[in-house]
This record gives sequence, C-alpha cells and structure tokens, in this order.
Amino acid sequence: MWMKCGEGGGKQASPSLRTVVRLDTGPSEGSGAGRRPETMQPLLDQYQRVDFFDEFADELGVPRAHYAGLAQTLRTIDIAEFRHRVDLVNSVLLQRGVTFTVYSDSRGTERILPFDLIPRIVPGNEWSLIKRGIAQRVTALNAFLGDIYGAQRILHEGRISAEMVFSSKFYNREMIGFRVPRDVYIHVSGCDLIRGRDGTYYVLEDNLRTPSGISYVLENRDVLKRSFPRLFENYQPLPVDDYPRRLLDALRHSAPAGVSDPTVVLLTPGIYNSAYFEHTVLARRMGVELVEAGDLLVHDNIVFMKTTKGLQRVDVIYRRIDDDFLDPLAFKADSTLGVTGLMNAYRAGHVGIANAVGTGVADDKAIYPFVPDIIRFYLGEEPILPNVPTYDCTDDLQRRYVTSHLDELVVKNTNQSGGYGMLMGPSSSTIERARFKEAIEAYPRDFIAQPIIPLSCHPTIVGETLAPRHIDLRPFVLMNEEVDVPPTALTRVALTDGSLVVNSSQGGGSKDTWILDD
Amino acid sequence: MVLLSRVAESLYWMSRNVERAETLARILDVNYNRTVDRNAAGRERAVRVWRSVFDMAGISADVELLDGASLASAAFERCTFSTEYRTSIVSCIRIARSNALSVRAELSTEVWECINGLYLFVEAQSPRSVAREGPSSFLRSVRDTAQAFGGIVDATVSHDDEWNFLQIGRYLERSAMTARILRNHDFSDESAHEWQRLLEMCCASEPFAKAQRLSSDPNEALSFLFLHRSFPRSIRFCTHEVDRALHRISETAMGAYSNEAERVTGRLQAMLDFVQIGEILDEGGDRFAARFAERADAIGTAIQASYFPRVPVG
Repeated sequence: MWMKCGEGGGKQASPSLRTVVRLDTGPSEGSGAGRRPETMQPLLDQYQRVDFFDEFADELGVPRAHYAGLAQTLRTIDIAEFRHRVDLVNSVLLQRGVTFTVYSDSRGTERILPFDLIPRIVPGNEWSLIKRGIAQRVTALNAFLGDIYGAQRILHEGRISAEMVFSSKFYNREMIGFRVPRDVYIHVSGCDLIRGRDGTYYVLEDNLRTPSGISYVLENRDVLKRSFPRLFENYQPLPVDDYPRRLLDALRHSAPAGVSDPTVVLLTPGIYNSAYFEHTVLARRMGVELVEAGDLLVHDNIVFMKTTKGLQRVDVIYRRIDDDFLDPLAFKADSTLGVTGLMNAYRAGHVGIANAVGTGVADDKAIYPFVPDIIRFYLGEEPILPNVPTYDCTDDLQRRYVTSHLDELVVKNTNQSGGYGMLMGPSSSTIERARFKEAIEAYPRDFIAQPIIPLSCHPTIVGETLAPRHIDLRPFVLMNEEVDVPPTALTRVALTDGSLVVNSSQGGGSKDTWILDD
Repeated sequence: MVLLSRVAESLYWMSRNVERAETLARILDVNYNRTVDRNAAGRERAVRVWRSVFDMAGISADVELLDGASLASAAFERCTFSTEYRTSIVSCIRIARSNALSVRAELSTEVWECINGLYLFVEAQSPRSVAREGPSSFLRSVRDTAQAFGGIVDATVSHDDEWNFLQIGRYLERSAMTARILRNHDFSDESAHEWQRLLEMCCASEPFAKAQRLSSDPNEALSFLFLHRSFPRSIRFCTHEVDRALHRISETAMGAYSNEAERVTGRLQAMLDFVQIGEILDEGGDRFAARFAERADAIGTAIQASYFPRVPVG
C-alpha cells in the first residue's frame, strides 16, 4: 500500500537542532549499520516499493545496480538532516527566483517548483537507447513537416489522411511552399517518456513547440551539488551545463544563408509568462539578448531591435511565444506579444525563427498515433521507442470502444496541453464521463484516448518519509546539422499520493536526473 | 555591445528606486529617533519635522491628521509601508524588483539576488513586526542592503553602458534627494541640533567634521552639501557623475554635447562649478535647492527622450 504523507513522522525534535548534532558527529561513511548513531533514523529504512515498476528497487526490494551507490549513501542520512537540506534548498531557490507563475488566482503567484532531493538515475545503456529512439523520432517528424508544407508525399501516398493534417489547428497555411533555413523545423523539443509496468520506455508526447523545463535541469543540478554534495558520492553523472552552448549552436545554425556571425535573440512574452525565469536563464547563459515584442520592429522585411545606439539587425529569433501570437499581421490581430511584419521577414528569408512556425501539427495529439508510420515512411526503419497505444476517435470502431470504456481510459483533448482538458477515467464521475462522451461524439477530431499506463515510481521525500511517487522523463533535444541529444533530461514527479499527473501546473515537482556514461 | 532601450530604462529606474529607498531609510531613522522621545509639548515641532519628511518622501498626506499619541510611529509607517504612494520604501523596493525582474537576463546573479533578497525581506515585514523591534533595525537592514547593492553593481557589472545607466539612475536620484532635503531645511534655524539633523540625513556629519575641523559656520556645512567637489552626496558631485556617465555612453568629449540630456546636464554642471555659496544664500538655500530639484527632473525627462523614446505602437 501507499504510505500516507506524514505517517511515522512528526514526533521529532526540531529538525535543525537534530541536524546540528548529526553534523557534529562527523560525516558518516560506508553502509555499516553498526556505525549509525543511536538516535539516527535513516530515511531509507521506511521505503516500501509498491506494485508498479520501481526505478530504485527490483521486485525483491533490492536496490538496482545503478542505485546501489545511492542506497548506500541514503542509509547514512537521517530524516532530520534531509528536512534541513530541503529547507535550505527551498530558500536558495526562492532567493534565486527559480519560480514559475501560477494563474489559478488573479495575482499570478510566483512559486518555486517543488524540488525533490532524491535524484533519478538513468543508466548508460538505457540512455543510449533513449538517445537513438529520440533522434530517430525527431528526424522523422522534421521530415514530415518539410513534406506536409512541401511536396505532401505522405498525403498523396495515403499513409495519413490529408483531412487529419489539414484539420489540425496547428497546421499553418502561411508555411506552405516556404523552405525554412537548412530545412530545420524542430530546433528544440522535449518529448515525454514514461515507463510501463515492465519498465519499457514509451513516448507519451513529442512537444515540438516550446517545451519548458530545461532551466530546472540546469538549476536543480547546481543547487543539489552545492547543498548536498554527499549524494554525489559514488557517482559522476554527465554534466548538464553544456546545454546552453549547444542550444546556441543550433540557433546560429538556423540563421539565413550568408550570415556569418548571426545575432540571436530570445523572444519572451514577458515577466508574467509562467516560464519567464527559464527565458532569463537561457538568455543569460547563452549571452544573447532577451527581448520582448516591443523591443523589435520590422522595416523593409528586416528585423531590428531597438537599442540605446539605434536599431540593430536580428538574424535568429528563439521565440518562446506560440505561433498564434507571433505576428498580429499574419495571425491574431489583437496580439500584443507579437511583432508586426515578422512573418513577411521570415518568408523573405531575412530571419530564422526557432522553432519554425507550424511545427505544432506534428505534435498534434491526433497525429501522434501515426508517428510510428511516419518513422517507417521517411526513414524505412522500425520505431526504436514505442508509442503508447492510442485510440483514434475519428475512426468509428475505435470511437465506439472509447465511449463505452471511458472509465478505464485517459481521454485527452488534442487542442490542449499541460494536463488541462483531460479525463482520467478511473477517478472520473459519471457526469464527467457523460460530458466527455457527448463531446467526443460531437467533435471526434478533438479527442484521443489511451489506456492508463501505470507510470513507474521513484523514492521521493514526502513529509518525514520516503515514499514511491510516479515520475516521467523529459529529455531536451536539439537539432543542428542532425539531431543532438545532450544529457539533459527533466524528471517530473507527481507529489500527490497515487496521482499520475506530473505537470507543474497540476502539483508536480521535479528531480535532478543523473544520466550515467555507458 | 548591445543595450536594448527598454533594458537601459529598467536599469535606470531600478537604480533610482534603490537609491531612493536607501536615502529614505536614513531620513526616517534620523527623524524617528529625534521625535520619538519628545513629550507632548514638542508636538508642534514634531509635526513640523514630519511635514518636511513627508515632502522629502513625496508623500502628500496631512501630518496633522496622524495619531497624536504616536506621531512618529504613524508617520514612519506611512513613509515605509504605504502602497498608495509610489515613493514609500516598500513601493520603491517593489518597483526596483519588478524592474530587475524585467531585465533579469542582463543582471549578474549577484545583483539579482541582492535586490530579490531585499524584496523578500521587506515583503515579509509588516508594520506590526517592525513596531515590535523598533524601526531602527528594519531601516538599517534596508539601508545596508541598498548600499551593498551599489557595491555589488560596481564589482560585478562590466563598466560599460549598462553600468553607466545604473550610475545615472543612482546619482540623479541622489542629487534630487539631497536637494529635497535641503529644500526642507529651515535656514533661519542656526541651532546645532538642526545642523546636525541636516548633515545626518545626508550622511554627511562625519565627512563634514573631518573636512572642516570643528567649524561651526553654517555656511561651511551648506557649501559642503551643495558644492563639495568630492563628497559623494553633494549636489555638485552627483551632477558631475551623471554628466560623466552620459559622456561615456555617447563618447562625446566632456564639455561638449551630442543630445539634450548632455546639454542640460552640462549647463547645470557648469553653474555648480562656478557658483559661490554666497550667491546661493542670497537667493535662499531652500529656493536654490528647489530650483535644482526641478532641473534634475528636467535631466530625467531629457534622458528619457534621448535614450528611451516612446515609439507609438501600432
């Protein structure tokens, strides 16, 4: 059974006091139980795995090989010390301003993303499989985008219905017939991987628009190293700080032809955007200007930024703004986040935009079931990483199955993301299911359904105990000459007992993710 | 080096607001300590003192209406926590932090953490929590952090245009605050008590004592605050720093100008370089200070027009 939050704890003396005592006894070493001070209550002792794939322990409760070193360290650390470190880390994160904005109240509160100190470890052999699988997938999806905005071979050959593509809210007619610089559409992506009951990695979503979270990867590692170096005993995870340089390389690569030393900027919606902190981290670490729409203007199809020394030309825009808001002339006319005339400058070949406009069609949830076919079609290969089985509601038979099995399935709206607009069958009410059934029958194109995959679990600090919580994995992927998969991945964790939803907007947290060398 | 106009503007305002919070904290500390121990008979005087402080702080509330029993506390609270005025300490720090947030990518981590830490500190305080401790330690924390901010800026930001705009904000605000303090000084009151209060509000009592050994000539003190060549809060020194920063940005030779901001600053600078303290006193120190404050505002407007022009949107 799940351990309830707070059970078994709460009777302790003030954590900080206990920690001082612990620190005075000197650093503990080794795993020998005999060396423990009498009062110590190691965190690991209470961990009980549950009937899901447990990343940490095998079926017998023995730590897996790549977790053995961490288990050894954890045996020497007690709960009070952990609580103390958690407080320390939270205050550091707040001071640094590692926050995201929550919109649930009118003020837009700044919160820190809960950071769980127990790291998630991905062994080298698993990572190399993931790496190959993602590279294959992104390569194929990039080819798919070039095709559907170009020759449309896949549609002519009937491998995917034209109606499915053209009806996508993210299919962008402005892009038809336009060849993007170096044929790269997906400069940055961050697919979501989950593991099923047997430990198989599945791709759950491709996230080809503006996936966020990389700043947590960078900050989590930095904070953990500073505040809890002992955890790193026995481990040398691959470093993450190379990511900004590799991102900048990928962005410079997408400059218009003939520009030898391109000026790159990061376009943010501004300080009220939930990912604003991330935008500042990336701009700062890449050494590029963080611009808002008002800082840019287009003159004669050339993009400029307004500086104290006049106008300066911009060659590449890493935009963290959705397509719809990019250019009020081409898209939403009332967008104040966009730059008037930007699409014309883009189509004239005077500026690179990353990701390319219109990539959203390739990660439309309704296109997702076709990705394995897309891989076969463009690459002539079998997919390395499987999809989660998915029901296409536009198909009569599948839709009938979905609407009669809603209590077993998860239903997702193809126009929404971030955990919004979802039906979790088993925990839903009859009324909710009736409402979804009606909506699915009225707008089948807007829904997909999947069996509920029991996400893998990982030991996580919950109150005073260590308990299993569900996690996923989001590697951040770049595209330069070819797909570049840096060892940077975010593990998101559903902190609520039993919850399978890991989104930060829905009460998720994050973990530092250690990728080991092969 | 590229500096976005918007970023320059935010840096400038961030710097101005931190400087203002710092000066205001000192003004409040000096006056709170001088009025809190006065008995009821001193109320008239206390009202006069707080009225002048409200003017320095840019708060237009009527001091007469404040609670008589704890005038000092009520006035302190108004100048510190009031959010209806953009010039209270809390407001200044909020504005500075929001400016910092909008240029987070340009700031060094140290600068950001300093201002964010100051923000988190004041947001965690309330009139009640400060009253419990007495305002002094709160005001001291604000002052110390704001001063550390200046040092961190100097030590961690490259001394090119970003820093130049920070300098302009800092010194323009500082000269304006010194002028506001002088504008409220009663030049007819030559008591040592009043002189000491004036010097302390300008953080000048020790430097002045050092520079003018045992001088008790009020004109010397005035000259120190208006015209001293190297005291870092004198009006002349601050104006000179603004002038120099402007010329570093435009790379125009000192003494010449390439835009309106440099022209008005240069003219003011020349006047301060050659005016004599006697002339200032003939005009009336308070009137001269008020006239200076207007000119400092004009410099601000000219900087705005030269470097952060408002381009019509649409």
